[in-house]
Amino acid sequence: MQGLLTTFQLAVIAISGGMILGVLVGMGRLSSRVCVYYPATVFVNFLRSIPLILVIFWFYFLVPILAGRPLGDFLSAAIAFIVFEASYFAEIIRAGIQSIPKGQLQAAYSTGLNYPKTMRYIIIPQALKNMIPSLLTQSVIILQDTSLAYVIGLKEFLRSGSIVDAREVRSLEIYTFVGIVYFLICFSMSTLSKRWEAKKGAVR
Amino acid sequence: MIEIVNLSKWFGKFKVLDNVNETIQRNQVVVVCGPSGSGKSTLLKCLNGLEDFQQGDVIIDGVSLKNPTTDLIKIRQKIGMVFQRFELYPHMTALENIALAPMKVKKIPREEAEKKAMALLERVGITDQAQKYPGNLSGGQQQRVAIARALAMEPEIMLFDEPTSALDPEMIKEVLDVMIDLAKSGMTMMVVTHEMGFAKEVADEIIFMDQGRIIERGTDKTFFENPKTDRAKDFLDKILF
Repeated sequence: MQGLLTTFQLAVIAISGGMILGVLVGMGRLSSRVCVYYPATVFVNFLRSIPLILVIFWFYFLVPILAGRPLGDFLSAAIAFIVFEASYFAEIIRAGIQSIPKGQLQAAYSTGLNYPKTMRYIIIPQALKNMIPSLLTQSVIILQDTSLAYVIGLKEFLRSGSIVDAREVRSLEIYTFVGIVYFLICFSMSTLSKRWEAKKGAVR
Repeated sequence: MIEIVNLSKWFGKFKVLDNVNETIQRNQVVVVCGPSGSGKSTLLKCLNGLEDFQQGDVIIDGVSLKNPTTDLIKIRQKIGMVFQRFELYPHMTALENIALAPMKVKKIPREEAEKKAMALLERVGITDQAQKYPGNLSGGQQQRVAIARALAMEPEIMLFDEPTSALDPEMIKEVLDVMIDLAKSGMTMMVVTHEMGFAKEVADEIIFMDQGRIIERGTDKTFFENPKTDRAKDFLDKILF
């Protein structure tokens, strides 16, 4: 199933790219510098207020103009997902960092650590632990969202299903099968995230 | 060593520090007391730049904190600080808590930093807890690790912000004993505390603050036996039964 592979590729690129961009934007949202804070905040609020399907469409037409040449379905979908999901990851990361008490920052500063080192050794490791369940949940959502790339004709898993359907004309069976596969993948991922949360709760 | 000159600070419209003046010499121990909300902790945090201020100046070893080119990171390496709620890093062992700053700030190799951390744990009397995480230590042990962590950077000055007020009564002594040792070894210290036994034993000067101002200062004898202001008298009556 080439389609399932495309779905996974798109999801992995969206999650990793979205997370990297999300860390930068999330930290920007915490910056005291106005010229960093406002662009990051506008980015997040804007993207969270429009539907993903619109962003996919939009990038499909926008990216070729910016790049000066067509980049293909997959690349344009990947860019749209990275940018869109970054806004969600950014909020998870911002909340995670803010969940760490201010005293930790002060303690680290008082021993002479600077801001980047304090973030790297003290704040982020603790924040990450708090964020993992939300990050996993968001990743599950991304995997499901990749099916929206259907609209620009990308042959991901759902689209492959509908192509097979056009050939075989057994819609009910095919879409049920597609549904079961999505369910199995996403449900096992979210169970994993719940277990993680429970384990973390038990330690405290 | 530390000079506080006409220091004033506002939180919004509220004046937390009102024209504070104080000089602390090398090897001196100064105890700050006063009712809650009087600005004691804020004053302490102004000394290592954890809080900023709007008027006056703090001068550490001749370096002005008001000067925007002053490198606070450098200043903080000279000043250790101990917090009311310990603020140990919960994701690191006691040993790692202590060794982190020497490794990452002073670039001391891990082996050497950990050896030094062990020596500091011995100094505060808890070598057997080195590999434990803060969550598995008692409050008194956590605070002693926190003192060791501050000492690891070999500071010239130590600031204590109500180091015993979050502790169970039976653990206060073990922490105070470490602090008394430190004072007697000649460390320059500024201590916000209501532990008057500690103040009597090691304080060179006691400052009484109220509403952001220093309203009385004296040595232990003059302050405890003969407070000049009614406010200080009233306060001492309440904390000494």
